[in-house]
Amino acid sequence: MNRFWGFLFFLVPVGGVATFAAAPYFNIWLPRDISEHGHAIDHLFFFILWLTGVVFIVTELVLFYFMWKYDAKANKKPAKFTHGSHSLEVVWTIVPAVTLLFIAIYQMDAWASAKMRPPLIPGTEEMISPTVEVTGRQFNWDFRYPGPDNELYTQDDIFRTDGKLYLPVGEKVLLRITSADVLHSFFLPNMRIKQDVVPGMEQSMWFKAKEKGGYDIVCAELCGWGHYKMKGRVFFLSRAEFDEKLEAMRLEQNTMRVAALDEED
Amino acid sequence: MSTNSGDHADHTHASGFLRTYVFSLDHKIIGMQFLFSTLIWFFIGGMLALGIRWQLAYPWAPMPLIGNLLAGPEGGQIAPENYTMLVTMHATVMIFFVIIPILAGAFGNFLIPLMIGAEDMAVPVLNMLSYWFMWPAFGIIGLSFFVEGGAAQGGWTSYPPLSVITAAAPGSLNGQTLWLIGVTFVGIASMMGSINYMTTIIQMRAPGMTMFRLPMTVWAMFITALLQAFALPVLTAAGFMQLGDRMLGTGFFLAEGATANNSPMASGGGQPLLWQHLFWFYSHPAVYIMILPAMGMVSDIISCFARKPLFGYKPMVYSISGIAGLGFIVWGHHMFVSGMNPALGMTFMVSTMMIALPSAIKTFNWMGTLWGGQIQYTTPMLFALSFVSMFIIGGLSGIFMAATPVDIFIHDTYFIVAHFHYVLFSGTAMAVFGGIYYWYPKMFGRMMNDSWGKIHFTLTFILLNCVFYPMHILGMTGFPRRLADPYQYETFQNLLPLNQFMSLCALLLVASQIIFFVNFFGSMFFGARSGRNPWHSNGLEWQAPSPPGHGNFDFQPVIHRGPYEYNSPEVEGDYYPQTQPPPEIKE
Amino acid sequence: MLAIAAAITLAVGCSQSEPPPFRLNMVEMVSQETSDDYQQEIADVLGALFGTPDEPVALEETGLDANMLARSAGPAWSDEKGVQRGLYRKHCVHCHGISGDGRGPTGRFLNPYPRDYRQGVFKFKGTYTANRPTTDDLHAILNNGIPGTAMPAFSLLPNSSVESLVEYVKYLSMRGQLETALISYVYDELGEDDDGGRIPLDPAADPEQREIVLELLAEIVEDWEAAEQRTIAPDESQIPSDDRTPEEIVASVAKGQQLYHGKEANCYTCHGPTALGDGQQNEWDEWQKVQQKFLEETNRLAKSIQERASQDDQDESSEARLEEDKQTLAKRQEVVDTFYPIRHAIPRNLRQAFYRGGQRRLDIFWRISAGIAGTPMPGSGPASPGATANLSDEEIWNLVDYVMSLPYEPPSRSQEAIVPNKDEIF
Repeated sequence: MNRFWGFLFFLVPVGGVATFAAAPYFNIWLPRDISEHGHAIDHLFFFILWLTGVVFIVTELVLFYFMWKYDAKANKKPAKFTHGSHSLEVVWTIVPAVTLLFIAIYQMDAWASAKMRPPLIPGTEEMISPTVEVTGRQFNWDFRYPGPDNELYTQDDIFRTDGKLYLPVGEKVLLRITSADVLHSFFLPNMRIKQDVVPGMEQSMWFKAKEKGGYDIVCAELCGWGHYKMKGRVFFLSRAEFDEKLEAMRLEQNTMRVAALDEED
Repeated sequence: MSTNSGDHADHTHASGFLRTYVFSLDHKIIGMQFLFSTLIWFFIGGMLALGIRWQLAYPWAPMPLIGNLLAGPEGGQIAPENYTMLVTMHATVMIFFVIIPILAGAFGNFLIPLMIGAEDMAVPVLNMLSYWFMWPAFGIIGLSFFVEGGAAQGGWTSYPPLSVITAAAPGSLNGQTLWLIGVTFVGIASMMGSINYMTTIIQMRAPGMTMFRLPMTVWAMFITALLQAFALPVLTAAGFMQLGDRMLGTGFFLAEGATANNSPMASGGGQPLLWQHLFWFYSHPAVYIMILPAMGMVSDIISCFARKPLFGYKPMVYSISGIAGLGFIVWGHHMFVSGMNPALGMTFMVSTMMIALPSAIKTFNWMGTLWGGQIQYTTPMLFALSFVSMFIIGGLSGIFMAATPVDIFIHDTYFIVAHFHYVLFSGTAMAVFGGIYYWYPKMFGRMMNDSWGKIHFTLTFILLNCVFYPMHILGMTGFPRRLADPYQYETFQNLLPLNQFMSLCALLLVASQIIFFVNFFGSMFFGARSGRNPWHSNGLEWQAPSPPGHGNFDFQPVIHRGPYEYNSPEVEGDYYPQTQPPPEIKE
Repeated sequence: MLAIAAAITLAVGCSQSEPPPFRLNMVEMVSQETSDDYQQEIADVLGALFGTPDEPVALEETGLDANMLARSAGPAWSDEKGVQRGLYRKHCVHCHGISGDGRGPTGRFLNPYPRDYRQGVFKFKGTYTANRPTTDDLHAILNNGIPGTAMPAFSLLPNSSVESLVEYVKYLSMRGQLETALISYVYDELGEDDDGGRIPLDPAADPEQREIVLELLAEIVEDWEAAEQRTIAPDESQIPSDDRTPEEIVASVAKGQQLYHGKEANCYTCHGPTALGDGQQNEWDEWQKVQQKFLEETNRLAKSIQERASQDDQDESSEARLEEDKQTLAKRQEVVDTFYPIRHAIPRNLRQAFYRGGQRRLDIFWRISAGIAGTPMPGSGPASPGATANLSDEEIWNLVDYVMSLPYEPPSRSQEAIVPNKDEIF
């Protein structure tokens, strides 16, 4: 009966591994990555998953083994009287320390490229001009495109409040992101990108999408009762389609005739 | 009428019921007061969690019990602001009213003088006040549920501007103000306690009790008290700053022109990120406050029931100190995507990676303690072992978050929720249960029923893994925190069945705790009488009567060794208490 | 303790099997002194004609689509696979309320308050001031949300869901309008019969009443149907061309500025000479005005009761009247206690770059031409096709140019703070 306890703890590494093994078959896994830099993040994630997975399995199995073997009901040898082992302490201090430091340094480049190296105009220190300004408000994502003059905050800007963001695929795009009221967070799961937007701060985000299609925009910072309602959708189009779409949106904003409305339906 | 500990000799028991049981100066009574209060709030916090799990399992379905009370006219479904209130208050209650007070207030208070051989704490009046200062907090936070707009809804992290602009959320009207005041009272209570513990441990040890003969529980409580003392003032100050912003028109945390929900623009001039720095400067050490005492208790329990000395006592002490020290320089890892300068992200990443190291060392040492032992599977031992097993999971999952590029993706997803529930519930709460089962005989002079304890353990162990382990894979999908209805996003559409499974297990998990509560209260009256040392533990506290009277020991303890000398070759058998003189002197 | 918990669960849980009912429009009922009997009868008539929140009825006379209503109505959670129901309760009810009265639990904490559909008045539409919105107008609001308020965009829902919700809004609106019409009918027409008894409202039994009720409904429905043809189409000859030169645009903006400060349009009186919306701020919109009036009348009644009660010489009939008035006051006070704080209608700050009712030039044209229904913003264009107007279409387009240029004027842009000359301060 007492071996039951060891067995119960044995279920931990078994169940733990089984969950991660089975999850992809139920489509419960990392979402499809369509970004250029996303593979670095996914790669790092799986590296850590394997590493911690191995450590997890080994330590839990050792724990189970000790529980099984040294169960007082089965093991009649008197307990060893030892206060520790200096060499073991050294080993299991140095090895994890080195491993952790290695992981730390290994990933610095991925972080820098995602957050510290904005795309610059070639030959200058200036960031490329933003493709869109994204404003989070309670409780919607509003978008503002620069319009034909390619400059934000001029009169030909195009405003969209229907939660659908259009961006060109295959190009590095810079987004100006901001908040109209409280903290929100612009999260694109399929792009592996997330940034909290802080009112009063000038913030940018940049990435390059590799595939066309529509993907979720999720708010990832509690912003009030409607936090769950801040649903958006980003559509990556080819450059030609994107330009077409911008022109169509510009025309719609300049609509002065009711007849034009019927064409929108 | 104050008493100094030195006056205990002529202290009479003519004081009435109030003095003895309500406004008691005895650390043991105060410890038990903390214990009972926190267990009640544990139940309340659990109920709040079930509300969250209901909405995630049956979004917008009429809620049982409270649906009719709160939103009956609209069909009994939860109003979305109430979901954010559930999330906020579940965390607030569990952190400030359960885990921190039960570790430091209940166990710390009860055990420290007993374990160091003192008659009571250094300043018993301060000790009593540290308990009674919790009551204004209980009342104020309890009251906040009933004010207009409801209790605080900005998350337990209450980030501005959401929590500062009163129009930004219904809970930011009065609920948030009451929250800030309540948390301030908790902070004051904790600081009183921490000063007392540090003084007691440094000054009032029995003769022969050197620092390196202290049990790990006391070391952990000592380091925790240091953490409290240095970190809490920052939170208290930040709380006052937020109160100023809310009520006095100051602008610490608001940018110029800050507005929400068409509220009048604030003059501002401040920065929302400042709150995050100040808050996490406390709250990161707070999470170590919430685990170190548990680690200490687990060390004591494992050593006792493996009948072996603790493996690597000094490395264990240094690890606890390392965790605490490093714990002060990692707070920025909560803010990697907050808008903070990304260069700081690099530095915090390195320090956060390193803090995994002392935790790993401790885990290896616990396993070393088991190796070659004679393990007795009592209920406390099972809980302590589960702490080790579950802490491995919780600690390893932290490495993902420490990796800043990965954190870009998993920040504010259920991966984080999985991590902290593993360390706090599967870790600390299991250690707390273990500690209760272990020291119950010392507190009440009776044993808790061991068979029911094992049933409680088995159910809890299995069910908690069913509830919290899937949160790791949920987080991998990007499933966000604090979202009342995640299933409307295409990315999360297929996750409803898993969430329903988790909610069902959560309900069963909460129900299983009934076994514990019945055992806990029932054994006070019907449990078998225990005697001084039912577990044959070497710890000093087991040399006092069960329960100890006023003044704790009925002899003057003199200490000859550490508390882990099981199976020592110096004596027959495996039992060698700290107060027993060594064989040479006997002859 | 367990037994008590179980008992409470059963008691409260069982009472949940009752579906929620529509709420009565108590402001109208109490201000028109509708007795409890009539209140119940009105509720019954509405129930027969429109159904319940769980089971809506789409009478042929209303022209509403029963399938769409069925998709919107009912509980938000459904166990049946493939059955989409409860769209309204999933997305709208917590702000707009089960009856569409804008009084869901979240409503009181929002600024501005959520729309009350029951008057059939909607702010942002393309029809003439007095007309209902078209289906397209409502669709546009749901698709784009209303920036500057808590109303989010729902364009990411399937189109059929948005259509169903629009249909349900019309349904709630018609129901609310009929409720008000019935209350007035009861007050005006039904009183006492020849024998001194109360004439009940029972169209099922009384063919004359039935005809009248259906007529009332028909009027309401006709209004909605007529609106579909009443979209304001700007005069083609006065629409500015798409390829104006910069000079032409500047001239138009200058003309618009003149009109803004002029007497025909009077924009500056409310929007302020600064265009920041800091002109007069003392008016109410229609929804608040009803409450304000109700409140004022209640206060007047309370004062009169106080005066009369302090008089010593009272005869029997005035005593009886005083008692009656006290009861009325109590009923009115009950209704007043449910009010959210009454807010003034604040004119819009025109220097922000976004607009609540739509970002297109046509949307701004509609706002100026037809005003904003239910608010103090008047229409400067014709009130109906062919009517005379304060401003011609061309002038309105000038104003559109001016308004849309305001956010980009230098005073609208954030300025660097002027650094003081530190040497001269002390």
